[in-house]
Amino acid sequence: MAEERRGSWFGFGFCGFGQALGSGRGRQVHSPEPLQTPGEGEGADVCRVSASWSYTAFVTRGGRLELSGSAGCAAGGCRDAWASEALLVVLRAGPGRGSGTELQAWAPGSALSGEPLWAHTVGPEAEGEDAPGGEPQAGALPLLPGGRAYVSPRPPFYSPLAPELRARRLELGAEHALLLDEAGQVFSWGQGRHGQLGHGTLEAELEPRPLEALQGVPMAEVAAGGWHSVCVSETGDIYIWGWNESGQLALPSRSLAEVGKTAAGEASGLKEDGCDVRTAEGESGGLAPFIAIQPFPALLDLPPGTDAVKASCGSRHTAVVTRTGELYTWGWGKYGQLGHKDTSSLDRPRRVEYFVDRRLQSFLFSTDQSNQKVIWPGRKKNQYIFLKGKYTHFNLFLRIYLYFKNRTCIRLSSMADTDQIHAGEF
Amino acid sequence: MAEGDREPLAGAGTLREALRALLPPTKEELTLQLGERVERSVVRLLQEAVELFCGGRGGECLQASEAILDYSWEKLNTGPWRDVHRDWRRVYAFGCLLKAVCLCEEPGDAGAVAAALRVCDMGLLMGAAILGDILTKVAAVLQAHLPSGKRPAPGPAQEQPHEKKARHDRVWIPDVRSERTVPRLRCPSLQHFRKHFLVPGRPVILEGVADQWPCMKKWSLEYIQDVAGCRTVPVEVGSRYTDEEWSQTLMTVNEFISKYIRDEPRDVGYLAQHQLFDQIPELKRDISIPDYCCLGDGDEEEITINAWFGPQGTVSPLHQDPQQNFLVQVTGRKYIRLYSPQESEALYPHDTHLLHNTSQVDVENPDLEKFPKFAEAPFLSCILSPGEILFIPVKYWHYVRALDLSFSVSFWWS
Repeated sequence: MAEERRGSWFGFGFCGFGQALGSGRGRQVHSPEPLQTPGEGEGADVCRVSASWSYTAFVTRGGRLELSGSAGCAAGGCRDAWASEALLVVLRAGPGRGSGTELQAWAPGSALSGEPLWAHTVGPEAEGEDAPGGEPQAGALPLLPGGRAYVSPRPPFYSPLAPELRARRLELGAEHALLLDEAGQVFSWGQGRHGQLGHGTLEAELEPRPLEALQGVPMAEVAAGGWHSVCVSETGDIYIWGWNESGQLALPSRSLAEVGKTAAGEASGLKEDGCDVRTAEGESGGLAPFIAIQPFPALLDLPPGTDAVKASCGSRHTAVVTRTGELYTWGWGKYGQLGHKDTSSLDRPRRVEYFVDRRLQSFLFSTDQSNQKVIWPGRKKNQYIFLKGKYTHFNLFLRIYLYFKNRTCIRLSSMADTDQIHAGEF
Repeated sequence: MAEGDREPLAGAGTLREALRALLPPTKEELTLQLGERVERSVVRLLQEAVELFCGGRGGECLQASEAILDYSWEKLNTGPWRDVHRDWRRVYAFGCLLKAVCLCEEPGDAGAVAAALRVCDMGLLMGAAILGDILTKVAAVLQAHLPSGKRPAPGPAQEQPHEKKARHDRVWIPDVRSERTVPRLRCPSLQHFRKHFLVPGRPVILEGVADQWPCMKKWSLEYIQDVAGCRTVPVEVGSRYTDEEWSQTLMTVNEFISKYIRDEPRDVGYLAQHQLFDQIPELKRDISIPDYCCLGDGDEEEITINAWFGPQGTVSPLHQDPQQNFLVQVTGRKYIRLYSPQESEALYPHDTHLLHNTSQVDVENPDLEKFPKFAEAPFLSCILSPGEILFIPVKYWHYVRALDLSFSVSFWWS
């Protein structure tokens, strides 16, 4: 990995706490700007960025952790960090060689001084899972090295995972979790009221449950937004499901239509694909209506020939990086987190023009809530595999009863969605 | 036509003063006591917003309020509603308060006042009471400052509390004489009611109890629009909530009336199950709490009062509620069918956790092939008319269809 060129970080979105986004003061950044990590100049050595709402955590290859925003500090000996408003979780090298790593949870404002809120020693056998060459794989949190457990900002903070799951990646939404195993199978569990579990219902799941709809399609990546889920197949297709209240599923959103913003025709390079998704005809004919909740994975169309390699989600927006190094974003845009130089929300993918002129290939990025950071490491060789899948949609009508604190019954929360079932085979 | 558009400067000044008078006098008191649930960063942002407000930096305060609102809104949408911590709802309400007041700081146009009122209503709908229920007071002040030009002129149709045009689909009024009817009693004593209906869980229509309430005479469309027209309320759109096209949306009462009651509505809209009387205390003075509620265990404050306001044809599919219910009919008639909880099996409730209190059967058009036992299930029915109160015992299945433009008030008690 030594020959890989170091990349630069860019950020855009909400920065009301001064989370080290290049333009300094100001609440919002609408177009990508180079990130200035505190004390590190260009931040060329940063290998991991974890963004929470009010602060950001940076981890350098040298093991240095820097926080900026509502929390600020610097500390050494960190291999990985995971930022949330309630907790900052860091993976630190143990005091002596071979003594394993320690998982620590800190209050973000504690500046990592004093005692952590809790600590857990990760056994040395977990270190065997590192990449060859011994370099620790940053970026696995909230999944712990070894894939046997994960951390979450809510109690229980430390949750074991069944070993037979062979977890490779784990992502947490506001009230659900996604897991990707070694074979490329996606699992989900947690609350399901917004369809974010993808099993076709709104029921909660207590234990990881495999997504039957995606069986047989090996996934390479998963990402979880607040109430939506995304995964990217090894062949570059994107599957997405969950809540679409701001268009974060790239499906027609009623709230955007009411503001006159749905089906943005000016989205670059989307004209061919957009149409058949939006105006799919079914038994009753006519245009497909708005979708508030998609409880079943839907295949997302990017421009033909574009393969996704990475996906990441903020609480209500989605970002995808393609093999050719383009960045597409969509969903909630009120704080400029889509990077299109405005504050519009979008319900279809749109390319971030800022990165088009920079012939870069992207890989890692980290989004949270309403801000976003993208890294561009060195170039990688292009690979072109083209596979066409069928589009599956799920027809479901539903209503929700939510109970108030004193057991009174109230009906809230609409999800009236009709859409035709196109039987699909993957 | 400039009158309705721009709020004259003097008016804006009095509005600002009136709002300021409602706020706590010092910066230190314009604060919330919050528990550990609310993260430090949010507390910090709240303090910053108050600083900005007190420092006269309204624009920046508005930005900070937006961030507070967006962040707390996400908390309100995380997990089941009953598990949402009250502190987050208070934070949300606080954000609404700051935003509403900031919107009215500048001598702006009436649009700003209406927007501020909408924000207050959002805080009342989703937030929790703060600073001595300040949002209700702020809303009342804002409402008073909306220029009369803001209210829509009465439509071309005449003002009548009852439906004036014949709808293209005639209303089907069931012949209740052929069905077993709910018994009727005139002003029973508390003891009698408890012994014969509350304890055994039997429905009954109480006459002579509510018929003198002020609402019976006062509540016309005009009056409702006058008192509540510019307030934002949740409206259900779709013929019934078991429908595919059913959805819920927010709009002002004026919009609701003009879109779904006057003007040949295309869809059915229903202002259903909404605690309108907490939002608009003025309306609460027109109703009373039935004395029989004192037979329950709870306090008067724990009684949930809901408004049900909609055109002819609104339907509440067969379902049961976990509390006792007094359904008071104010305007129009409703056809109601009641099935005992003992018949639950014949009513085929949904098996999902979320809907286990709703029947799968369409009562007036049942699919008897799919739901054969339903045909034999015994029931009681009635047409509830203005001035009458229907007692629906806890867990009693009920189905309701409005035969006219209707306004009902329900009291859920234990």
